Amino acid sequence: MIGLNKLGGRTWVVTAAALIILLVINAVLQPNFLEPSVVQSNLTTFLPLVLVAIGQTYVILGGDIDLSVGAIVALVNVVTVTVIAGLGGDGTAVVIGLVAGMGVGAACGLVNGLIIAGLRFQPIVTTFATSIVFSGLALWVLPQAGMPVPEPYWRTYAGSILGVPTVYVIYIVAFLIAAFLAARPFATRLKAVGGLRTAAFQTGLDLGRLRVSAFMLSGLFGAFASLCLTGETASGDPLMGQTLAMSAISAVVLGGTALAGGVGGTLGSVLGAWVIGMIGSVIFFAGLPFEYQTLVQGLIILAALAGGVLVTRR
Amino acid sequence: MQPALRASDISKSFGAVHALDRARLTVERGEIHALLGANGCGKSTLCKIIAGTVGLDAGEVLIDGQLAALGSPNLAEEQGVALFYQELSLVPQLSLGENIFLGREPRDRLGFTDRAAIQRQTEALIDRVAAVAGKGFRPDARVSDLSPDQRQLAEILKVLARKPKIIIFDEATATLDRRQVEVFFDILRELKAEGVSSIFISHRMDEVFAIADRITVMRNGATVAEFAAAETDRYAVVYAMVGETGAIAASVRDHKPLEGDTRLVVKDARAARLGPVSFTAQRGEILGLGGLHGQGQKALLAGLFGAEPFQGGSVSLDGVDVTARRPADAMARRIAYVSGDRGRDSALPGRSILENTAIASLVRERRHVVPGAVFRERFTEVLAGLNTRYAGLDAPIGSLSGGNQQKVFISRWLSPAPGLLLLDDPTKGIDLGAKGDFYLLARKLADEGATVIIYSSEDSELLSLCDRVLVLNGGAITADLVGDRLTPFELTRASYGDAA
Repeated sequence: MIGLNKLGGRTWVVTAAALIILLVINAVLQPNFLEPSVVQSNLTTFLPLVLVAIGQTYVILGGDIDLSVGAIVALVNVVTVTVIAGLGGDGTAVVIGLVAGMGVGAACGLVNGLIIAGLRFQPIVTTFATSIVFSGLALWVLPQAGMPVPEPYWRTYAGSILGVPTVYVIYIVAFLIAAFLAARPFATRLKAVGGLRTAAFQTGLDLGRLRVSAFMLSGLFGAFASLCLTGETASGDPLMGQTLAMSAISAVVLGGTALAGGVGGTLGSVLGAWVIGMIGSVIFFAGLPFEYQTLVQGLIILAALAGGVLVTRR
Repeated sequence: MQPALRASDISKSFGAVHALDRARLTVERGEIHALLGANGCGKSTLCKIIAGTVGLDAGEVLIDGQLAALGSPNLAEEQGVALFYQELSLVPQLSLGENIFLGREPRDRLGFTDRAAIQRQTEALIDRVAAVAGKGFRPDARVSDLSPDQRQLAEILKVLARKPKIIIFDEATATLDRRQVEVFFDILRELKAEGVSSIFISHRMDEVFAIADRITVMRNGATVAEFAAAETDRYAVVYAMVGETGAIAASVRDHKPLEGDTRLVVKDARAARLGPVSFTAQRGEILGLGGLHGQGQKALLAGLFGAEPFQGGSVSLDGVDVTARRPADAMARRIAYVSGDRGRDSALPGRSILENTAIASLVRERRHVVPGAVFRERFTEVLAGLNTRYAGLDAPIGSLSGGNQQKVFISRWLSPAPGLLLLDDPTKGIDLGAKGDFYLLARKLADEGATVIIYSSEDSELLSLCDRVLVLNGGAITADLVGDRLTPFELTRASYGDAA
């Protein structure tokens, strides 16, 4: 274990190793796994989880948690499709719909942040409650699944921008945002807030602002994910993304970000999200009966989490 | 010229408690000003008000003659006030450099954190204390990996990095060893030469007289005396602190030769950074552990109690092997342990005084149901015997001052009386009156037949309380001082590893 101790806080190395193992298994199970089109299709499937996990990382780094992000995904979806449909479904309508969706995501994050950082409510209870509110709002906006999005929307999502597949463009943009934030003092200050709140306060950091920013980022990335899911499903669904919040939290923890806050980063969360996606893929292609898939997936995630904890514990 | 700081008529209440009642403090430019008083006298609150972490109810603070607006730590800092925190303000998960520049990160032209600058500037700061900082004190070291004294040095560097005009050092030397304190004092003198004023809070009178220019004494929330350090003496200062009613037990040591039988035998005890050490202690003896900070004293006590079991060696009490593997073993043998780090080792925070008192009995008597009435009666009696002031057994432990909390934690072990009482810097941060009570209690327990082993970071405490002092240096016993040899000179000499 001496070598492993040197990993220090970098649990994501372990996650990367797990990812490589899963890649090999998948490559064996699926002969065409490494073909560009299959790679792209897999990465497309994983994209929403990756985005939500990146957003969730900020909240968890700050010592909070956001259980409402799945509901935010649904609310953003129904608002976006409703706005697009209401404005006639042309190009302008799509752009306005996207902006409205992002706005809704950020607003949901703002509400979470203000209640938690401003009124000092418990994040776990608050975001559980707001998730019910957001779900309720989504059902109110669009009581039934349906309402297709116009063709240019999903065609662009499935197509490419300047020769690069749109999905990859989104990945690159998301990584750039994450890298930008990681290089700003914001990242360190957020870790300080999550690491030892009293110390961060005594140092003069604006705790409320940092925590609200983290929740808004989570909401924004949730909206981002929702717009991608909408590109995939091409319709509105008030029940979309229900499992995303928990999967994203698992991804964040798998990626080495401590649930207690203060330690970690988005890179690990991206790897964690991929690992969770690949686990699903392995189970599917291993031909496991459907009824066992969720159970096995849960056990594998538990094992992966335990592995990470055991490796980093001295 | 205006003084650097003039705080006048500062009042502050927390609920019904008047923490400050028209307190005042004047600090000249380039002055090292000691602020003294028993715990609960309001000096920490006054400092927090000046540093902007606590609001004031009435009064005004002038900085360089200007009325200062002190709504937040940031505002205070903008006006040149920096507070060194007794409760550390470092984030354990971040690196030393990140901590020092937290909230004031150097940035490059694009607004990104300039990590190279953090590295460079942190190295420059570390150079000031490099000689005493010890191993691993690097800009990229995680604070959680640093030892307590290194964290305290880091805290000092963090304050220095802000280049303030007025620095408040609240117990800045508490975990430093003597060499580190000297380096810290050199830094204070350099700051003084640069015109920076320091407000220095310390429980160590030696340090106060070694470094302070002037002394302000507070009592019960008010400022009661101001001295020039060169024109006063310890007696006058202590007298001002305790007032006319407070009597201090200067020495409860009686020089009677020890007649008790050998009771505790420790053979070749080993732990990380300790030993092997061997020694014996007698019935009725108060045995002190002296020496510089961090020389294995705490490891020895924790090992005897089984909190951090020894890696080798044996311990026997009254001829019975009591080598403890876990605290429950030690408790079953009537070994008691009281730590000075109350928050970490003793308190059940948020729980009542009764629960905090009864917890050891619950374990020792293997109770599964709490006999409320029995315990209530038992511990009311015990606490009364300790001269403890408390609102009621059901009040939360946090409602007590540090000194009274410590009495509660000691009272845990008094029913029945312990055979071996281990005290790990037990009077850290408690006021002089409570210390006096505490010394008398330790002596009483010893007279009743207990063996007491005490580690103290204050030499004067060991000298006044102990029958015998073992001095540790680098995890080994370098001297066994008793009788005429138990003097400050011998103690200091042995502390530095210079055995007579």
